[in-house]
Amino acid sequence: MMLFTLNLIELGFVYRIFKKKHLIFDDRFIKTMCMAITMVSSFVFAIYLELLLPSIERIFYLLPILTGLFVGWKFSAIMKAPATLNGIYNGVMGGIMGTMLGAVLKNPALCNIPIVSDTLIKTNMYYIAIFTAFLHALISHFIRYSFKV
Amino acid sequence: MEHTRILLLLYIDVCLIIGFYMYLRRIKKLIGFQLGTNISVVMGGMISLLFGVLLILQFPFHFTLITILSTSAGMIAGASFGRLFDYQTFVTGLTNGMLVGLMSPMIGTVIEMPNLFIWFMHVFFVLSLITIIISIKRS
Repeated sequence: MMLFTLNLIELGFVYRIFKKKHLIFDDRFIKTMCMAITMVSSFVFAIYLELLLPSIERIFYLLPILTGLFVGWKFSAIMKAPATLNGIYNGVMGGIMGTMLGAVLKNPALCNIPIVSDTLIKTNMYYIAIFTAFLHALISHFIRYSFKV
Repeated sequence: MEHTRILLLLYIDVCLIIGFYMYLRRIKKLIGFQLGTNISVVMGGMISLLFGVLLILQFPFHFTLITILSTSAGMIAGASFGRLFDYQTFVTGLTNGMLVGLMSPMIGTVIEMPNLFIWFMHVFFVLSLITIIISIKRS
């Protein structure tokens, strides 16, 4: 839960910088950066939502994919019309992949992974969550650094 | 013999990647940024796919460690291939290698005929290398 809040705040900072400076750079730069941040952040949020929410409810089933769609649409609405398709496509792809990885981490028998103990599953969840949070911080740092140079 | 062969194939792949990197580093002035973006995407994705599938077939009990390892390998490969050309190809290769590397151990656990899949993957890898070399020569 703490990692989720941390990454949400970081995404907010990146979005503010994008909105402020999007007139300065050319099309190719904005397209590359939007593709990178959309893919990574929708993937990470889909993993967190899939791990945090209980899987019994039918309502939560589509929520990670819709989150990915929302992130992609919000970022690509800054640019012109053909780039919107790119952002939405990457967001939905990241959302679907994050949902898949989260489901496998919750129930390792889906993929024939020989882990049966309950504490080992929890440890695996924490390791993967911390690792993806680290990756998101790394990509955000690279993108914020690229606006300075 | 069966287990030694997988590690030997992995070693051959790493040697091929390093040799291709040296070849590209010598002629990097001749390549534009469009071809550079495609090269970094293909190389990062292929090295993380090979690492994930081959290592999960070799050591099936360490899922988390292999996920972290293949993600790091894909990020390093994509970033070092993209670093030759531009900053934006660097970010593209890094992101694509990371996303394929997080997915690839799951493919390795669910396949049913491992030998056929390994050979198909290596044929695909060699074909993509040949395609890149042809497009470098023609550009």
